[in-house]
Amino acid sequence: MRPRWRKVLLDLFENPTRTLLVVFSIAVGVFSIGVIAGAYVIIANDMSASYAANRPANIELRMDDFDRDFLPVIENAPEIGDVEPRRVFNIRARAANSQAWTTLDIVAIEDFDKNALNLLTPMQGQSKPARREIVIEREVLKEIDIQVGEDLVFQLPDGSEKTLRVVGIVQDPTTGADDFLAPPFAYITMDTLPTLRQPDLFNRIYATVQGNGNDAEYIRRVAADLKDRVEKNGVTVRRTRSALTNQHPLASTVNAILGILLALGVLIVFLSSSLIANTLAALLNQHLRHIGVMKLVGGRDKQVFAMYLVMILSFGLLALALAVPFGGIGAYALAEFIASQLSFNLLGYRIVPLAFVIQIVVGIFVPLVAGFGPVISGSRVSVLSAISGDLASETGSKPQPGAKRETLFERFENAVNAALLRRGIHLPRPLLISLRNTFRRKRRLALTLFTLTMGGAIFVGVFNVRTTLFAYMDNVGRYFVADVTLDFSRPYRLSEIEQVARQVPGVQYVEGWAFASAEILYPDGTVAENLVVLAPPAGSRLVDAEPVSGRWVQAGDTKAIAITEGILRSFPNLKPGDYLDVKVRGQQDRWQVVGLFKFIDREGLIAYGTYEYFSRETNLANRSVSFRVVTDRHDEAYQREMSEKLDKHFRDAGYQISQARPGLSALNNATESLDILVIFLLIMALLTAVVGAMGLTGTMGMNVLERTREIGIMRAIGAVDAEIMRMVIVEGMVIGLISWVLGLFLSIPITYGLSLIVSLAVFETPIEVVFTPLGYLIWLGLVILLSVLASVLPARNAARLTIREVLAYE
Amino acid sequence: MTIPRSSVASTISPAASMLDIRRVVKTFKNAAGEFTVLKGVDLQVARGEFVSIVGKSGSGKSTLLNMMTGIDRPTSGQVIVNGQDLYTALDESQRSRWRGKNLGIVFQFFQLLPMLSLLENVMLPMDYAGLYDFDERPRRAMQLLEMVGLKEQSAKLPMAVSTGQQQLAAIARALACDPPLIVADEPTGNLDSRTADVVIQIFERLVAEGKTIIMVTHNPSLTARTTRNIIISDGEIVNETVARALPLLNHRQMLQVTKKVQRQSVPPGQAILRRDEHVDTFFIIERGEVEIVLQGKNRQDVTVARLSPGEYFGEVELIRGGKALAVVRAAPEAPVDLLTLPREEFLTLLEASPLTREAIGRIVQNRIEQNRSIDRRGKGWWPFR
Repeated sequence: MRPRWRKVLLDLFENPTRTLLVVFSIAVGVFSIGVIAGAYVIIANDMSASYAANRPANIELRMDDFDRDFLPVIENAPEIGDVEPRRVFNIRARAANSQAWTTLDIVAIEDFDKNALNLLTPMQGQSKPARREIVIEREVLKEIDIQVGEDLVFQLPDGSEKTLRVVGIVQDPTTGADDFLAPPFAYITMDTLPTLRQPDLFNRIYATVQGNGNDAEYIRRVAADLKDRVEKNGVTVRRTRSALTNQHPLASTVNAILGILLALGVLIVFLSSSLIANTLAALLNQHLRHIGVMKLVGGRDKQVFAMYLVMILSFGLLALALAVPFGGIGAYALAEFIASQLSFNLLGYRIVPLAFVIQIVVGIFVPLVAGFGPVISGSRVSVLSAISGDLASETGSKPQPGAKRETLFERFENAVNAALLRRGIHLPRPLLISLRNTFRRKRRLALTLFTLTMGGAIFVGVFNVRTTLFAYMDNVGRYFVADVTLDFSRPYRLSEIEQVARQVPGVQYVEGWAFASAEILYPDGTVAENLVVLAPPAGSRLVDAEPVSGRWVQAGDTKAIAITEGILRSFPNLKPGDYLDVKVRGQQDRWQVVGLFKFIDREGLIAYGTYEYFSRETNLANRSVSFRVVTDRHDEAYQREMSEKLDKHFRDAGYQISQARPGLSALNNATESLDILVIFLLIMALLTAVVGAMGLTGTMGMNVLERTREIGIMRAIGAVDAEIMRMVIVEGMVIGLISWVLGLFLSIPITYGLSLIVSLAVFETPIEVVFTPLGYLIWLGLVILLSVLASVLPARNAARLTIREVLAYE
Repeated sequence: MTIPRSSVASTISPAASMLDIRRVVKTFKNAAGEFTVLKGVDLQVARGEFVSIVGKSGSGKSTLLNMMTGIDRPTSGQVIVNGQDLYTALDESQRSRWRGKNLGIVFQFFQLLPMLSLLENVMLPMDYAGLYDFDERPRRAMQLLEMVGLKEQSAKLPMAVSTGQQQLAAIARALACDPPLIVADEPTGNLDSRTADVVIQIFERLVAEGKTIIMVTHNPSLTARTTRNIIISDGEIVNETVARALPLLNHRQMLQVTKKVQRQSVPPGQAILRRDEHVDTFFIIERGEVEIVLQGKNRQDVTVARLSPGEYFGEVELIRGGKALAVVRAAPEAPVDLLTLPREEFLTLLEASPLTREAIGRIVQNRIEQNRSIDRRGKGWWPFR
C-alpha cells in the first residue's frame, strides 16, 4: 500500500472517538431514512396486499331481514361475483368473571368452510366455531379480558343471559376496516342465532364485482343497480357501501402519515448532513498540519483532495455497514407497529431494495457533498499557514504577528461586558468563558443550532398538533353534550322515558332525539354519500353548534339540515342555501342545506335537523328510540356509573333498552386513534431531537478537542475537575437554551404545516390551529437534559486531560 | 512599586526550602521502549532564590519543571513544594487547586485564554481558587496589570495586544493569588530583548520582595542575572560548583565531571597539599576557602592567596608535571569541601574540551609568569614549578 493510502487508513484509527463521531453522524441519517423509506414501501405494499389477500367485498348492503330464498336475487344480479350473506347485530357481552358490559357486533356466517369473502385470519385456537361456540376478533381482547376456552356472557333484550364458549381468536382485516370506531366483532354460525334470540335470517350482503375491483366508479354503479334490484324485490336497503379490492380503506390516511414521516426523514438526512459538514470541517482543521507536511514534501492539491475524499468515502462505508442492517430492522419494526395499530398483517420480514438503494446513496453522497467544501478549502491551504497555523482559529490561517483588530462580534461582547461593569455587574469568569466559548465557532454553532432548533421545533410542533387535534375533538364533543345516551330496541314516549329516568338520582335532564338515515344522490340518481340525520329538539341545550358557514337548524325548519363539511368531497361547490337530492326510506326528496359544520365523519356523513320535523317524518312524533341524559356530574367515571344505573333501572322496569353509553366514551375512542397518530409524530420528533443532541455532542466533542490546550492552561492556574466539566456543560446548556428560544419561533410555521397535513389526512378538512405551552415546557426540560447529556462525555474527557498531555505540544 | 500583598494567607507550612526534589526518576514508556528522562534528580531551592535552569532541548528540563509544578508525576521520588508533598497526598484535581493558590506559572507562549480580556484572564485564578472577595478581584487584577504597565489595555482581548504585553499580562495572572513561588518556562523566549529586559526587571523586583522564582531559559544574559544557575544534562543535574569552575565545558562534559569527582572534606586549618608533595589530583573548591602558604626566609608561613568556592588548584602541576611548591591548606575559619578529579580524568577532559584546555592553559601561563616574577624578587608564591 502506498504511504498516503496507509495514512488514510491509519487516520481512521488514529482517533477512534472522532471516527465514531463522524460515522455516527452519517449513520443516524442513513438509519432514519432507511427506517422511513423501508416502512413506507412495506406498508404501501403490504397494507393493500394483506387487505386484498383477505378478499374484501366490493359491495356491502345493510338490509332488512331476508331469508335464503332471497339470495338468488342477488347472486343473479348483473356484474356481481361472489356473494355471501351474513347476519350482523350488536349485543352486550361480558367475560364470565366480570361485570363490565361491552357492546360487540356479532357476525353470523352460514358456512365457515365456504367463507369466500372478508376472510378471517386464524390467530389462536379454532377459526370455525361450532354450534353454541364463538370466535372473537382480536380487537375484542382490548375490551374484554378473556382467553380461548373461557365463556362470554351475553345479555338478551329481555334481560336474560346466555353463555357461549370462546373457541378461537381471529383477525378480520376487512370487515369494518374503514371504521376504526366500530365495536369489535365476534363470529358465530347461523344455528347459534336462536340461542341469542335472533331470527335465522340474514341482514347483510357482502359481494364482489365481476369486473375491475379497483374501479370505484364501476363498483358504485354496480352497487346502485344491486340496491335497486333488491328493493324492487321488496327488501329495504338501509345502507350501501363500496370498497376497492386492492386499496385498504384507510390507505389514504396512512399514506398521508407516511408522507409526513418521509418529509421528516428527508429533514433528518438534511440535519445529519449539517452534522457531517461540521465534523468533517473540524477533522480537516485538525489535519491542517498533516496537510502542510504532505505539501511540504511535494503533495499536490489534487492528491490531498483525493486522500480526504477517500477518507470520507470510508466514513460513509462504515456508516452504511452500521446503519443499513439496523435501518432494515427498524423499518420492519415501524411497519409492524403501524400494521398492528391499523389491524392488518405484513407479508413477512424482508429487505426493501428501494430503501437499500436510498440508504447507500445517502450514506455515500451526503457525506461527499457535505465534506466537499471543507475538503476543498483544506486541500488548498498553503504550506506556511498549514504548518504554522493556529489550529484554534476559524480559518486555520496563521495568526498575524503583533496586535490584531478585534472583530465586530468581539467588540460587541466587550461592549456588553463594559455595560454590565458600569452597572456593577460582574459575571464570574468561568461563566464568561462558557458564554464566550459558545460563540467562538460561529459556523459550527449555526449548524448545531440549526439541527437542535429543528428537532425542538418539530417536537413542539407535534405537541401543538396534538392539542389542535384534541381541541378539534372537543369541538366535536360539543355535538354530544349528553352524559349518557340511551338507545332502546323500540320507540317510547318522551314523557314516559323522562319520568322513568328522573327516578334515578343524579339525572337532571332528558331529551329524545329523532333519527333518519338517507342517501345523498348525485344528479344522475346514483348514491353519493350515506347520511345519518340526528334530530334534537330545536334549540336543544345538548348541541353547542358552531357552523363554519351558514346557520344552525332552528325551530320551524322543515326539510332543512346542517351538514358536515365532508359533503364537500362529493359536492365541492355546495353552499348554504343549496339543495341536496336525497332518498329516504325509498322516497326521493329534496333537503335544503342551511349550514356546514366541522365533524368527524364515520360511516357516511352526519347532518343535524330538528326533532319536530324528523320525528313526524319517521312517524315517531313525541316518541323516540334514542335519549340523551344530562347528569349532575360530567366526568367519564361518573358517566359510566350512571349509564350502568340507568341501564339496570330501565331493564328492571321492563323497557327494551339496547344500550346505555357514557357520553365521553365515543369521544375517547376517537381520540385514542388520534393518539396513535400523535405517537408516530412524537417518535419522529424525538428522532430529530436525538439527531440534534448528537450534533451537540459532536460539537462539544470537537470544541473540547480543539480547546485541550486552553483546558490545560485552566488546570495550570488552578481549575479543578468540576470547574472544567462545568465549563463544558454550561456551554452545552447555553447552546441548548439558544436553540430553545429559536425553536419558539420556528415551531410556529412547523405547527401550521403539520396541522394542515394531519388534519387533511384525518378529517379531510383544515382545522383551526391551537398552541399549547406544554410542548414548549417539555422541550425546555428535554433540551436542557439533552444538552447536559450531550456535554457530559466531552466534559469528562476534558476533565481527564492531564496538563502534560495538553501542553506537551510546546 | 510593590506587589499587592495577599490579605489571605497562603498555606505556607514551615519548611526549610521552597522546593525540595528528592531522588526523582521519570521514565516514559512508548512503543520504542522505556526512556528515562530524569535519572534521580535532587534539587533544593531556598525561599527568595532566583534560580535559572539551563539545559539543551531533550535534557529533561521541561520534565523537571513539570515535576515541580505538579503537572506530571514522577515515576519515583518525592517533590515537596512549599511544604506540600505534591504526589503522595494530592490527586490531579486537588493538585490543580493547590497550584492555583501556591504557584504562578508563566509560559513561553503566554497561554492567555483567548476569549477573556486581559483583566478577566488575571481574575480567573482568583475565581478558581476562591480567593479574595468577589468585588475585590477586579480591583486586585487591575493593580497587578498596572504593575506590569497594562492598565490601559486591561479590557482588550489577548490577541489585540502585542506578544510582549501578553507575556506581561501572563505574569500578572501568575501573581493573581499571590503565590510564594513562580515558575517560568522560557518567559522571554518569544520576546524582543527590550521586553525581555522588562520581564526580568519585574522578576528581580519580585525576588527582592521575597518571592521565589525558578526560570527555565536559554539566554545566558538572563542566567547572569539570577542568583543561582542550575544546569541539567541528560536527565541529571550538573554539580553547580563544577559548572562554575569549568564554564567552558559543554553540559555533557560537565555532567561527566559531576559524576567523576569525589568529595573530600578538610577540617579548618588542615593542609591539603604539602610542599614537594607529588600532585595527581585536580581540586575544585565547593565550600569554604583555602589558603596558599609559602615559607618565608625565616621559615615563617606567609599566606600569599585565598581561593574561594568555584576556584580550583592543582592544574599547573597536572599539566606540566612536578611537585607542589607551596602548602595548600583549609582556611582556619571553616572546613573546606573539595571536589577532586584524578589526573587521568582531568587530562582526558582537557583533551575533549579544547576551549577549556586553552582557558586553563592561559591561567597556568599567567600563574607561572606571576610566579617567575615573584621568584625573581625572591618572593615567588606559586606552589608549582
